[in-house]
Amino acid sequence: MKCTECGYEAPLSEFRYLYNARIDGSISIRQCKNCEQWLAVDELKGVALEKVTGGAAPWGKSAGIEGLAEDVKKKKRRSA
Amino acid sequence: MAQAALKNTSIEEFEKKQEWWWAAEKRRSSRLDYLRKAIWKKGAIGGLYAPGVKTDLEQAVLTTNMARSLENAPDPYVVKSAKIFAHVLDNKTIFITDHAQLVGYTGSLPHTMNWNPSIASILNAEVFNDPTSIPDPVDKNQAVIQDIVGYWAGKSDLDKMMPVFDMEDMMKMLSGSIGWGVPLARGGYSNKDYEYLMTGKRAFQEILEEIDKKIDEADELVHTPVANKEIALMYDKLNNWEAMKICLEAGIRIAKRYARLARIIAENFEEDPKRKEELLKIAAACERVPAHPPRTLQESFQYDIFIQMMSRTEAIEGAWPCRPDYYHGPYYDKDVNIDKTLTPEEALDLVGEFLIRAAEVCQFKPKFAREGLQGIDGTWVWTMGGVDANGRDACNDLTIAFMQAARLVRVANPTFAFRWHPHVQDKVMREVFECIRHGLGYPSIRHDPILIANAMHWHGHPIEEARLWVHQACMSPNPPTKHGYQPMRMANATANCAKIIEYVFTSGFDKIVNMQVGAETPDVTTFKDFEEFFAAWVTQMKTIFSILVRSVNRARVLAPTLTPRPFLSAISERSVESGLDTLDPSIARGNAWITAFTWVENADSLAAVKKLVFEEKKYTMAELKEALDKNWEGYEEMRLDFVKNAPKWGNDDDYVDSIMLRCLDECAKFSKEIKCPCGNNWPILPENVSGNIHYANIVGALPNGRRLGDALYDGGISPGPGLDKNGPTAVLKSCGKIDHITQGRAFLLNQRLSPTQLAGEKGYQLWRAYMRTWADLGLDHVQFNMVDDSTLRAAQKDPEKYQEVIVRVAGYSAHFVDISRKTQDNIIQRTVQGLG
Amino acid sequence: MATCKECKNFFPLTDNPAKGDCVQRVVDPRQAYYKSKPVNAEDDAASCPSFQKRS
Repeated sequence: MKCTECGYEAPLSEFRYLYNARIDGSISIRQCKNCEQWLAVDELKGVALEKVTGGAAPWGKSAGIEGLAEDVKKKKRRSA
Repeated sequence: MAQAALKNTSIEEFEKKQEWWWAAEKRRSSRLDYLRKAIWKKGAIGGLYAPGVKTDLEQAVLTTNMARSLENAPDPYVVKSAKIFAHVLDNKTIFITDHAQLVGYTGSLPHTMNWNPSIASILNAEVFNDPTSIPDPVDKNQAVIQDIVGYWAGKSDLDKMMPVFDMEDMMKMLSGSIGWGVPLARGGYSNKDYEYLMTGKRAFQEILEEIDKKIDEADELVHTPVANKEIALMYDKLNNWEAMKICLEAGIRIAKRYARLARIIAENFEEDPKRKEELLKIAAACERVPAHPPRTLQESFQYDIFIQMMSRTEAIEGAWPCRPDYYHGPYYDKDVNIDKTLTPEEALDLVGEFLIRAAEVCQFKPKFAREGLQGIDGTWVWTMGGVDANGRDACNDLTIAFMQAARLVRVANPTFAFRWHPHVQDKVMREVFECIRHGLGYPSIRHDPILIANAMHWHGHPIEEARLWVHQACMSPNPPTKHGYQPMRMANATANCAKIIEYVFTSGFDKIVNMQVGAETPDVTTFKDFEEFFAAWVTQMKTIFSILVRSVNRARVLAPTLTPRPFLSAISERSVESGLDTLDPSIARGNAWITAFTWVENADSLAAVKKLVFEEKKYTMAELKEALDKNWEGYEEMRLDFVKNAPKWGNDDDYVDSIMLRCLDECAKFSKEIKCPCGNNWPILPENVSGNIHYANIVGALPNGRRLGDALYDGGISPGPGLDKNGPTAVLKSCGKIDHITQGRAFLLNQRLSPTQLAGEKGYQLWRAYMRTWADLGLDHVQFNMVDDSTLRAAQKDPEKYQEVIVRVAGYSAHFVDISRKTQDNIIQRTVQGLG
Repeated sequence: MATCKECKNFFPLTDNPAKGDCVQRVVDPRQAYYKSKPVNAEDDAASCPSFQKRS
């Protein structure tokens, strides 16, 4: 896997596993041992996706109806 | 926010944007605004205390000096303990904050954290090794600390207890893998005998008179021309009574010191006549209480604060069991409604300040506690609402005032837990809901009829006492009555339950701490069917629970002699009456429970193993064991199979729900086999505080698809984040299959709701309908987060701007910016349930 | 030798002037308050940084 920030390449397991906040998803946070950057990683593909910054949402929105009202609004706007 | 922007934006605009914290700041009185901002935030962030917050060396020095001076004194230990307590109160620095109407703090100065070095030498070592909180000048004070640490090594409560514990149990417990905390009578959660103390019948002076009478009677007895066992034991009682008296007299004296300080300020420094008057009122209150019962709301709050301050001088208190609307309510009614000596607004100022006085309390805590209680010092879960001893609605105007004050001062600690029952008026429920809607994460809602029945079922509390229950910590009910109140809940009976299922795969060997902790059950690959596998689970459960409970039982038996509580005894009817220490099991009914951290992982893991290994035979046990050994590294597809293709708790799926019930049945059965020294049961209570984060790096990979490092589920009987896919009713139905009276002591349920959906009157009605289902299904607890993703992500991005956003972590609330990134992500990923 | 009783911050007890309180005004980064600590009138105040000679 290649670090998106410093280009360091190593097998997936050499990037320190930190955590996955959504057990039913395959996105985890790992740390590059070269530049120490936190990375969002697709565990199935073994690919680093992007660095994790404050406010980043690597798992997307929470499950359930979060954002429903906005989506409804958008749909309404579109249909209008 | 810039002051200009704050000034130019209306309250309504802030509320529309759901920026409740700015609205609160504009809405509250200038006094409350000053006092709220004056709080030194003392909850640890990332396990470390905030800059500027310092360990208070004063009590440590006073305690040590007095202990040294008493070393060769002929006093019995309990009397020496009382004299040390009195010496601290007589000599500690006290302060009165500008604009304050209530006084009393655990430490010596507002930015300090109290430290009592006589309790646990392992805590003392942490004080020494935490240079960030050592006051300046660090070098000099480190030398002071070193001297104190050296003195108490071998003498602290824990040091006295260690040699008389079972060493194998102790080592397993102290490994930190299966439990947390240590079994100490002066370190945990002390309830109080509020029925003795707070009903206006007596205060310290009246108790002193009761004790004097007892001493006179005992004195007469021991000098009659006879000799027997009763007389032989009476000398110990006389010592206890003497110690109690020393504590109560010191309590009265320190209050008078506050009174004197208030008068000195009023007469020598203060120029504002209104403030002078307030200071004289403070003086009058402190001259009245705790010597005598309060007469006004201010005195009643002041009395309570003094009791809490003194209790925290004697012990490390991790909780704040109380029921303030019930015990202070009559004074609110008298002052506001009858005598009209206070306007509702003035009363609200007092109520808000009472919350602030509690919010600032802090005692130096060990790192495991700081990590387990991110952002707060302890779980001050205050009980509200409920019924009285006759079963009638006990909600009053002060209940409402507390809800309103909470929205004004917005402290994360204390929080409220509201005892719902069918006769709660709609106006009260609306106030409760407004707190939730304002994103406080509290009150949690408790089902009073269920929990009263539960208290009777598990511990045999008579109904009149059961109805008076308060939260002893986050969740567990305990009546504040003569024989019902539990003087100390020792926190180490807190089981890291995910280890139960983990140990089934490792035959009880803990790979994290590298020692045999659990039972040596057979190699998991030899199990022929699910029944054998489940039997191993039961064995591991019994083993872990027993280790934790045995040490608490031992500590409780030893406490009256090795680690007495003379102050707590002095405010306990059963001790004043009997002359026995309040920890003495012979005079208590017992109210023990095992807190079950990281519980639901067991049901989900068992279901996954049953389905994918034993029934569908998709994987062999050897394959699963290997995947877990490798922390699912290189097994991502298989891991996702175990997550997505095995039933998960919280979806009204009988396959996994029946496994949950079976686990609880086994625990409930075992809960009646293990007994506390009072002869009572040890039911389990699933909940988590933020133990799900603390244990993330302590619990290995599990068959539910969790990896070492991942947060565990957020606790109690809450489904895993994002795994409850069938909506809120399905969650309630799963949880409703549990018998909340007989299968455990209480069950925590976290739910996340949409602030957008629950806006306005329609939102309230949706919530009420949801709560009716919750009540009908007989759940004992539920609590809500109502802050949306975008606000929380924005707070992660720009924490400075969102300092006041509060979230419900588990059994407590915290400011979102004060908890770790992992915890933040865990909260954000909880399912937002749509109602209706 | 300066003693506490000579200090402006010293407030003797009415019933026992040999003892009293050292009362000081403090303004910390978050709040202002008055603090008080018991002292003896004859305590050595020579090295006390808060000593203010009573006029």
